[in-house]
Amino acid sequence: MDLSKARDGASLFALAAVLMSAQPVNAADTTVTFRTWSPIVETTAKMAVATEAKLPGIKIDYKIFNYPDYIVDLHTRAASDDMPDLIGLEPGALTRQYQDFLLPLQDCAVKSWGADWKSKFFPLAVDQIRLGNVKGDENYYALPVLTQTINMWYTIPVLKEAGLQPPKSYDDMLKMVPKLSGKGIATMLVGAADGWERRDVYMQLIHNVAPGLIYKAEDGTAKFTDAPFVEAMTVWKKLFDDGIIQPGALGLSVSPQAMELTEGGRAATFPQGAWWQQQATRPNPPELSVALNGYAPMLFPDVTGKGRPNDPLGGIDLMIGISKKSKHVDEACKVLADWVSGAGAQELINTFNDLPAFKGINPQVYQSDNQKAVWTLFTEEWLPKVRYARQLKSPAVKQALEDALAAVASGDQTPAQGMATVQAAWQSQKN
Amino acid sequence: MSMSSAPRSGSLAPYLFVLPATVLFVAYVVYPILYVICSSAYRWDGINQATFTGLANYIRLFTHDPAFVLAIRNAVLWAPLTILPQMLLGFAIAYMLETGVPRQAIYQAIFYLPAIISPVVVGIVWQRIYNPFGGLLSDIGFASGLRFLTVPFLSDTKVAIYAVIAVNVWQWTGFSMLLYVAGLKGLPTETLEAAKIEGATLRQTIVYVVWPMLRHVHLTLILLGVIGTLQTFPLIYMLTNGGPNHATESLPNYIFLQAFKLQSMGYASAISVVLMVIALALSLFQVRVLGARFALAE
Repeated sequence: MDLSKARDGASLFALAAVLMSAQPVNAADTTVTFRTWSPIVETTAKMAVATEAKLPGIKIDYKIFNYPDYIVDLHTRAASDDMPDLIGLEPGALTRQYQDFLLPLQDCAVKSWGADWKSKFFPLAVDQIRLGNVKGDENYYALPVLTQTINMWYTIPVLKEAGLQPPKSYDDMLKMVPKLSGKGIATMLVGAADGWERRDVYMQLIHNVAPGLIYKAEDGTAKFTDAPFVEAMTVWKKLFDDGIIQPGALGLSVSPQAMELTEGGRAATFPQGAWWQQQATRPNPPELSVALNGYAPMLFPDVTGKGRPNDPLGGIDLMIGISKKSKHVDEACKVLADWVSGAGAQELINTFNDLPAFKGINPQVYQSDNQKAVWTLFTEEWLPKVRYARQLKSPAVKQALEDALAAVASGDQTPAQGMATVQAAWQSQKN
Repeated sequence: MSMSSAPRSGSLAPYLFVLPATVLFVAYVVYPILYVICSSAYRWDGINQATFTGLANYIRLFTHDPAFVLAIRNAVLWAPLTILPQMLLGFAIAYMLETGVPRQAIYQAIFYLPAIISPVVVGIVWQRIYNPFGGLLSDIGFASGLRFLTVPFLSDTKVAIYAVIAVNVWQWTGFSMLLYVAGLKGLPTETLEAAKIEGATLRQTIVYVVWPMLRHVHLTLILLGVIGTLQTFPLIYMLTNGGPNHATESLPNYIFLQAFKLQSMGYASAISVVLMVIALALSLFQVRVLGARFALAE
């Protein structure tokens, strides 16, 4: 017997069997392409399955990148006129950069939810879609899928064991330091190597000192060198000098290092947003994250002694646009609508990835009462109150602020010098 | 030369032979270089309409950009502080392994291991080691009383670049060792035996015999080290992302930041042109002054 022929025959038979058993591809199916950095692959896969089941005849081809790779991919696609049908976007500068490639989506919104579609979203979600529009452009170039707040969290057992309450003021935080530092616990654990984390803390500080002022400075009706900005920067510096933020914070990234330390019980409080809830839904989470039992959110403590605002900062976490050159605009609109408010959205929200943009979508299963209480606090109390954006419009100003925060924390610049560099960056991008 | 082997006047054949290589060279080298040079004269986000600004990007680069100055300073520090220690340590390890350590293949593999680990993993692991809040070095420092180990290596703007350089040396010393091992194996035994018969000490043998005979390895390591210096990106991106406050900024990292995060493709192109000029100058220097007798070319 010629064994090689027999082997070839068996291989052909196996190949034929595989081909016959493969899922039949319907030639009539329309494939909608989607590229983004968020949500993660596993979640997007669940969303795609749910949406495809609901919308027969539509197949979703998705690819998820990490954020820097996504920006490069998007850039390359735009340059080669090969944009996907659905494009993951952030409000502000990113959307503005790709505006010429995006289809205005108000018609899609009206078709999906009626003329009063805006009322069905949380107010911040609708407000921030047009953050990057040029003056006078009233179009909506994307629709929001996920929203978020930025806030503080505390580790319940850590505070309980130390006999402490969640801090409400700067003095409260200061009093926590001697009780915790000896145990190797940070009063406030910050992954300050990441610019966005530094900026998130500063945005909460300036919101505490002078709510709304930073957006005026962005528009040119205030200056970044004004006293409240310097005051907020001074508090930022004090957080380091007083030992409230742990030593070496400027060399520690949020992910995975700061997150691991936090989940290892080394943080009394830490700045993270609503997205921290998803720690509970990962496979085999650390003990503190199981059913989110170890954590509770809180607003940033009052740093001025004059009281703190009761509205957190927030914004759109993810919004999705449709390419102007898409050949499947109707199908893309249907998929997008399903991810905002349909079966796909339900799959997304079930992961606690972040907060919904569309009102009335809640996770189908809660693992604990605490998890439900946290979700309710975010969606029913905090999210409707959000007035101010987490994001700044100009990438150059954002970067200058992040640099200044690092320079001030490390002692290379004074708070006033730091804010002067931000103002200079604002001036430079204006010219 | 016979008539049959000489190219005939007017024949296209020789040009056709070099055409594929020329087309590829123009498409993948010449065109991108010209494109980047042109882009550097514009204010451009890489996507939308560009505005011609002439030399404005270069003027800003050399007069108003402290981050660029830091990136240049770091490149100047990076080259000698990584190349020299890597060479010396690599040679020392290779010499010890070659002259009397049993099971040297195992040790070679161990020393070479960091070179094959992804810079992403190296970055994450070393950030943990350096973290003064529960990191390995600080824990050892507190336990042993060696307080210098508890320094916040990556968050101190004066120290951070040296901490990053140390990681780079740790990662690439094994590679130097491997080249030196290959070089040592190729040395003529009669020369070494002659040195021994003449009564040369170990120091004299190394300094006057072995080290000079490994000149081609040194040149190769210098060449690769300079290339590595100008290309340093993933380690810095993962370990510090150029921070704090650009203290560990590298030119490639800064180009990436400007091009994609800050949407300043024109400005990033200007930095790229400067990087290209530096690379060209260094290459010419190496070829003219050090000679081009690299181990890989032999």
